[in-house]
Amino acid sequence: MINISNLTKTFGDFKAVDGLSLHIKPGEIFGFLGPNGAGKTTTVKILSGIMRPSSGSVSIAGFDVDKQPEDAKRNLAYIPDEPFVYPKLTAWEFLRFIGDIYRVPETEQKKRIPELFDMFDLTDVSDGLLEGYSHGMRQKLLIASVLLRKPKAILFDEPTVGLDPKSIRRFKNLLGEMAKGGAAVFMCTHILDMAEKLCSEVGIIFEGKLIARGTVQDVKAAAHSGSDSSLEDVFLKLTEKQSHD
Amino acid sequence: MIKLLILNKLRCAYNDMNSVRGWELVKSAALGFAGLCLLIVMYFGFHKVLKYLEEVQLIGPILSWKLTGMLLLMMFAMIIVSSIIISMTTLYYSFDLKFLFSCPLSRRTVFMDKAADTVIFSSWTLVVAVLPFVIALQQVKGLSLGFTASYLFLMIPFVMLAAAAGIFFSLLVMYAFPSSRTRDITWVLGSLSVAFVYVMFRFAEPEKLLHPDSMQVIAQYIQYLQAPTAPYFPSWWVTKAMIAFSAGKWAVFAGYSGLLIACSAIVYCFMAWVCDFFYMRGFNGAQGSPRFKGGRGKFLEQKLISFFPGLAAQLSLYWKDRLMVLRDAKYWSQIILILALVSVYLFSIKQLPLDTPSVKNFICFLNITSAGFVVAAIGLRFTFPAISMEGKCWHLMRSLPVKIEAIMLEKLLVALPSAMLIGVVLIVLSNHILEADIFVSVLSTVSILFITIGVTAMGIGFGAIFPDFNVENIHKLESSYGGFFYMVASMAYLGLIVGIEAWPVHVHYLGGFAGPMTRWRLFGITSCTIGFLLVNFLAVWIPWKIGLKNLQMRE
Repeated sequence: MINISNLTKTFGDFKAVDGLSLHIKPGEIFGFLGPNGAGKTTTVKILSGIMRPSSGSVSIAGFDVDKQPEDAKRNLAYIPDEPFVYPKLTAWEFLRFIGDIYRVPETEQKKRIPELFDMFDLTDVSDGLLEGYSHGMRQKLLIASVLLRKPKAILFDEPTVGLDPKSIRRFKNLLGEMAKGGAAVFMCTHILDMAEKLCSEVGIIFEGKLIARGTVQDVKAAAHSGSDSSLEDVFLKLTEKQSHD
Repeated sequence: MIKLLILNKLRCAYNDMNSVRGWELVKSAALGFAGLCLLIVMYFGFHKVLKYLEEVQLIGPILSWKLTGMLLLMMFAMIIVSSIIISMTTLYYSFDLKFLFSCPLSRRTVFMDKAADTVIFSSWTLVVAVLPFVIALQQVKGLSLGFTASYLFLMIPFVMLAAAAGIFFSLLVMYAFPSSRTRDITWVLGSLSVAFVYVMFRFAEPEKLLHPDSMQVIAQYIQYLQAPTAPYFPSWWVTKAMIAFSAGKWAVFAGYSGLLIACSAIVYCFMAWVCDFFYMRGFNGAQGSPRFKGGRGKFLEQKLISFFPGLAAQLSLYWKDRLMVLRDAKYWSQIILILALVSVYLFSIKQLPLDTPSVKNFICFLNITSAGFVVAAIGLRFTFPAISMEGKCWHLMRSLPVKIEAIMLEKLLVALPSAMLIGVVLIVLSNHILEADIFVSVLSTVSILFITIGVTAMGIGFGAIFPDFNVENIHKLESSYGGFFYMVASMAYLGLIVGIEAWPVHVHYLGGFAGPMTRWRLFGITSCTIGFLLVNFLAVWIPWKIGLKNLQMRE
């Protein structure tokens, strides 16, 4: 569903992403881990079509993001770490806007939107302008917009930043449901505990290169860590080893 | 604590000025020079008027002081209106308010800090704008430089008192109606007041002041009004203090200066005392946002999608942008000022001293450039920033399955109807007022239709070439180098259009196209038509394509 092939992105002499190759299948939740500045957000921006690769290719649901951007984006949802929304629209209008752009039938929009507001505790504020929303409320609205359009691939960049504990719990459940529904989920996160519990596979990127990939158990084995060690221990061990090398 | 906050502001201002380099420095220097030239022109204008008034027998000196009193009264009123509008932002919506409230500062300190901002932002331009008048008065009356220094000294309590009226009004209104809509309504009413004053000033035909025959009427009027101008207002106290200074009556000067300073001190002490009661209720209310019931029904554009499914993206973006514009009070304020500008433009056309039909027709032809300039200037405010105003949501826009051409086209469709309406209204009404003949009327109307398309498309194109998605203040976009290049390109385009049309207009004046069509005339008409279409096409196509490419490559 999400296919990354030999992806490289350079800024001048600096290689932000270096020969990255990944394949994320439908129903899979892939955790993309790495320290700050490792190349996670750059990868996500290329996947979402905001940035162009220097070399290599990326495809979503079989559509090349660079060559068939509209078709690829129609099958993709991207939730950035900073949830920017139009301040002078209400939540209702924002979801209608997203629904119209993604060609969700009107009857379905009208049925689903109130349900989504209920799900994310936004019903009482759904007629208020988004300029009055907190960071967490805007994040919830963006997640609701993903559920409205049911994409085949979902990119999350630090999805739980700003969410309250109840919403985080709900988000984790939804993530599982979305994957069960056949979506390929690509999630950048620093919350290793969440990655360990939710992700079917994880990848660790360091200085633009993928240094480990597989199930959590595979990664632990590759790092020669015991099965009782946490993903956090493995992550620190691998990244520190790379920086010494 | 307030001292610390003011020092911090001074440090920020110093750093801001100190960091100006390269193009910014050139631009600031050019703008500063243009401003200085304007002040010098104003000085000579005031000098001429005051010299004339001073020479009117018997009542000359009274007239110039009367004019000073009226000017200061007008300034007092303008600072009040300005401080109402500005205080609505500084007191309730400044970017640093949340930070300041989280610091161990009293509400009174925060309030007084923001009140100081309001006083400065609402008055400094007016104080500078009146300075040429005061220097001219000093020169005409043969006074020392101390007279101008006394004006600057008196301005401190004067502007503080005027701004206090605006700040107190905002406090009361926000206390009574603590809502963000109160701010929007106040902004619109404030803009209406400014537009009203502007239109009324122009309709009063101030140019007649320079005609001695009409001055007789004004002289009689002022002679009739021997009484002081609003004696209980601080503007009159400043006038009396300036009169006393010019006559060397130091006790009177000290009395009025003392009155101004004492009143100012009392008013600010009173505000500092009551702000604890009024301020927080208003501030809390301002943090909310209005509610709308949109989204459940169907907008007109959504209904149109079923008829034009190929335009679904553009129509969806269109209703989104329409709502954004309609709900932003800042746009409404600008629209009111544009309407004032259009009425003053048409009034000025009406007042032109034109006698013969040929001169009127010639002015109609030249009017294409002026109307085009107005459309371009409005485009600089509304069309050029349209792409950049997507701001941080540009990332969201890029992640949507919508082509960038579609986004640019939608922005063009949002801006074009209003630009075309303004351009056509200016041209058609000007032609009507000037009684233009059919040829010039048709030519100018067709031209302005093309020009509005050209200038608006250039606005979108240049906006795409020079986008700034991080800008917080739209005025920074207007004064950016992108805005500068847009205006230069628009002027060049207008010059080319008028240059191409000059030949057919010339032939028309020499006897019209009534005679037999010679080969040369046919060649001329064909060349002009092709040239006209080519210039319009290139004006649209070049910036559009470069802008599109730039947005596509932008990361």
